[in-house]
Amino acid sequence: MHALAAPFATAQTVPASTGVGLRPVHYRQILQERPRVGWFEVHSENYFGAGGQPLHYLESIRDAYPLSLHGVGLSLGSAGPLDEDHLCRLGDLISRIQPGLVSEHLSWGRVGPRHLNDLLPLPYTEEALGVVCDHIDEVQERLRRQILVENISSYIQFRQSTIPEGEFIARVAQRTGCGILLDVNNLYVNEANNGIDPVAYLDALPVSSIREIHLAGHDRAGTLLIDTHGTRVAAPVWELYAQALDRCGPVATLIEWDTDIPPLEVLLDEARHAATVMRSRHAFTT
Amino acid sequence: MHSLRELQAAFACAILEQDPSTIDGSVCGGNGRERLSVYAGNVYHNLREALRAVYPVVGKLVGERFFDFAANRYIHDHPSQSGDIQRFGYTFPTFLEHFPPAASLAYLRDTATLEWLVHEVFHAADHAPFPLSLLSSLASAGCATLRLRLHPACRLFESAFPVLKIWEVNQSDAMSSEVVNLDAGGDMLLVRRVGFAVDIQPLPAAEFAMLQALQEGQSGEEAYDRALRCDPAFALGEFIECRILDSTIVGFDL
Repeated sequence: MHALAAPFATAQTVPASTGVGLRPVHYRQILQERPRVGWFEVHSENYFGAGGQPLHYLESIRDAYPLSLHGVGLSLGSAGPLDEDHLCRLGDLISRIQPGLVSEHLSWGRVGPRHLNDLLPLPYTEEALGVVCDHIDEVQERLRRQILVENISSYIQFRQSTIPEGEFIARVAQRTGCGILLDVNNLYVNEANNGIDPVAYLDALPVSSIREIHLAGHDRAGTLLIDTHGTRVAAPVWELYAQALDRCGPVATLIEWDTDIPPLEVLLDEARHAATVMRSRHAFTT
Repeated sequence: MHSLRELQAAFACAILEQDPSTIDGSVCGGNGRERLSVYAGNVYHNLREALRAVYPVVGKLVGERFFDFAANRYIHDHPSQSGDIQRFGYTFPTFLEHFPPAASLAYLRDTATLEWLVHEVFHAADHAPFPLSLLSSLASAGCATLRLRLHPACRLFESAFPVLKIWEVNQSDAMSSEVVNLDAGGDMLLVRRVGFAVDIQPLPAAEFAMLQALQEGQSGEEAYDRALRCDPAFALGEFIECRILDSTIVGFDL
């Protein structure tokens, strides 16, 4: 039997400050040095194993810092039922870790039993809206908690789409009560690749639903920007971040770095820069 | 193309077959094919890298280009069945066994199986050591009904090839450039976690038979019988003491 009824008693709230992605190469350094950083985030699936080193370090670091679980495999946007096994394993991990936040992506990656293990874009239609909302309702009911849903980077747009993405994610949040994880780098990448208007996008979002922001680096490949998470945050993304903060106020902000992982100091340096931006914008709004 | 289900099936097909023609009518813009190819590239890349992470020795044995070639075929023919990419590749050893271009490497399947077991053991459940307070009740227990329980991060593997040597000399930090004699005989191995690291231990036939029987849930008596058939001098007491101390045996049922 899987314990899906996660109590919140010991969950440490993720603060409205800056955090960094937790990578195995940094486990020991973090536990030895206890760096000043608000919180850590991990990909949920990397801790779906039953035991051993990954869970040991995750639990140790979770005892010292607030933690967020960020899923890449639940496939909220796939037509058909959710993957029951995946949802159970996520529930088990939540019970064990008691994270402050749990998030997933506004995407799909599965057709029936076949997984593509990627974050694929949805057509923004009334049908897709219904599928995503039903799945989020089911997940939040099963996990007995709110989840956040993140906007993805995209290299294509579907002709079938009838709803602007910003409006789509706003309606998802309104209908299900889920929070929004706003990935500012993805917004910038989508502006460059698909010509979406980031200001109109931000204007469409219900600011009170934005509970977390992601910042990351991207790379250029030919005519496209690719969301590689392997470099520092680009200057125009910092500008867009400031604009987002002007709307939603101070909010938990994560530096993501998934490829060519640099020394921990580089991640902490990016997080400090984000904190500086957050303080400066907050000073203007209060 | 109307429903979400149809669109997703066509998109998945375009990626896996690397043929955007099934979907490009649904994609906006002039360079839709270039853009779709980013997804096909990402999906194959991510799954290949997941295989490479689990099967580094196979990668070293066959070389990077051959590994990519085999991995691409495997990804296409045996789609991932889980949103947890760490589960991908369970059947790669049997795929390699039946992959004609690799037919000359008879030991490849067993080498790959050993790597998968190492991966499984790394992520397997934790378990407390055998409770010392129970040692006296173990000593007085009847061997006929006693069932010794093994640690969950424990696997047994038998191969007709010297796979441990193959595995050792192909580790990234291996010092030797020793040539493995494939006729050196097979291996009976215990793969288990020591601390957080995975350890592979070659076993004598009797001990392997004993542990295998215990893992199957056989009684202590049946397991001991099997060990004696391999080695009439098999020392049961010494075996139990040693395997309790190294946490291979973690409990028992009466």
